[in-house]
Amino acid sequence: MSFISVENVKFSYDEDKNYVLNGLNLKIEKGEFVALLGHNGCGKSTAAKLLNAMFIPDEGVVVVDNMITSDEKLTYEIRRNVGLVLQNPDNQLVASVIEEDVAFGPENLGVPPEEIRSRVNVALKMVDMYEYRTHAPHKLSGGQKQRVAIAGILAMKPRCIVFDEPTAMLDPNGREEVMNTIQVLKELGITVVLITHYMDEAVMADRVVVMDNGNILTAGTPREVFSQVNLLKKHSLDVPQATELCYKLSGVGLKFDKMPLNTEECVEFLEGVLK
Amino acid sequence: MSIIEVKDLSFTYGINTPFEKKAVDDVNVCFNEGEVIGLIGHTGSGKSTFVQMLNGLIKPTSGQVLLEGKDIWEKPKEIRKIRFKVGMVFQYPEYQLFDETVYKDISFGPRNKGLNENEIDLTVRKAAKFVGLSDKLLNKSPFDLSGGEKRRAAIAGVIAMDPDVLVLDEPTAGLDPKGREVLLAQIMGYHKERKNTIFFVSHSMEDISRIADRVMVMNKGRLEMFDTPKNIFAQVEKIESMGLRVPQITKIITMLRERGYDLTDGVLTVEQAFSEVVNLLKREGVI
Repeated sequence: MSFISVENVKFSYDEDKNYVLNGLNLKIEKGEFVALLGHNGCGKSTAAKLLNAMFIPDEGVVVVDNMITSDEKLTYEIRRNVGLVLQNPDNQLVASVIEEDVAFGPENLGVPPEEIRSRVNVALKMVDMYEYRTHAPHKLSGGQKQRVAIAGILAMKPRCIVFDEPTAMLDPNGREEVMNTIQVLKELGITVVLITHYMDEAVMADRVVVMDNGNILTAGTPREVFSQVNLLKKHSLDVPQATELCYKLSGVGLKFDKMPLNTEECVEFLEGVLK
Repeated sequence: MSIIEVKDLSFTYGINTPFEKKAVDDVNVCFNEGEVIGLIGHTGSGKSTFVQMLNGLIKPTSGQVLLEGKDIWEKPKEIRKIRFKVGMVFQYPEYQLFDETVYKDISFGPRNKGLNENEIDLTVRKAAKFVGLSDKLLNKSPFDLSGGEKRRAAIAGVIAMDPDVLVLDEPTAGLDPKGREVLLAQIMGYHKERKNTIFFVSHSMEDISRIADRVMVMNKGRLEMFDTPKNIFAQVEKIESMGLRVPQITKIITMLRERGYDLTDGVLTVEQAFSEVVNLLKREGVI
């Protein structure tokens, strides 16, 4: 059984059954890093909120780690296991000192004080914010705030973290910091679901799922998905510039064994051709 | 002719407190009428403080902002007039929508400017058209619009004041690729018709390289570079040392150049890169 399993899920925000999700099926394995793409309104954020029982499906089921999200008795257990990081870091930090903010989650779970202390320290070290533990959150940069928000979730020892456009408000350095932190989480065996509009972030995932109109348009490894340049463009989605250049070059006769996804692969490929 | 001239402009936060911080440090620069200026810099580089001084939302600690040759703080009581000339669209402006209908929301600015009902009606419809909002949407509550539509409605509210200078602080943040595309096209269409000066603050180097005539790079409160996108993004190392990135496509061409291939520097779009690489492949006899 998959770690997360979404089966034939329909979900609507109103009574008229205008389904935002229309028979969605999605399986996510333990420790997997899945990127969720799609234009605004395609249902990806709704899907994310179904994963930690913020929303309950109208039809179909969502099962997380053998727990069915529609069972209210399991709601807290599910939320402890599946953390959510949102776009705006300012909306997620609650305390006036960073370590207190990180302690908020475990405190509410009733974790004993000594254990909270050690969890906070470990979590802050994981996101590389330990030196800032006594600082005030409002003085941090966007990337740092986002890392503190991640630490707050790590302190609850989740098995999965869902990120809903965590870098949309950050500058290039902040984006890189958050993406590096996500890589660390993956190495720790935490399941990661990343919703993003940035294709260069999606290429880091194990698997890319493209959503359209409340359902899955295509899914596969980043290379499989981004090789379908035409399909993505047709649904007004982007591909990385490196991929787009190579795709165009295939039109003038260059042959690709594998479609380049980032700067390095693209440069390497072109050098190979030119030699 | 220069529409805005900035002279020895500085701003320090929290003077005489332990948190004293120089946000803008001795900036001197001139902007031409009708230019599109891209403004980039890492978080905390002073971009937002700088643009807020352009319409008098923040009063400089020292130095001057000259709008059409006149210091905007010459008569502090009349600073409000400056704000009709220099319109400001903040980050995530959709959170600032407040009125019952989109129409009323957009008409708030022109009404405060003292226009009569006829003029207001004309301006509102024109502004809505600029940002691609249909008449049908004008009678809806702004809260029933989609994210992209809300953003455009909020921008229309500022455009309705018909500013000579329009400042947009990260207008495309959080929009999907298509939403970005549409919004950029609308801003450029508006600019082409109105021919006003536009400041475009963004973390998206791709967007900046597509629309800006000149790019300001701010770093630690100082104006570090001010040049065409082509010349700015040709300096990959310098840009990266300031915590910024160049567009991916620019980086690819730069890396190939560094490895000795004969390509033009400062390539900004995939189309440009494609024709550069095709020419190179032909010269080398690969195709």
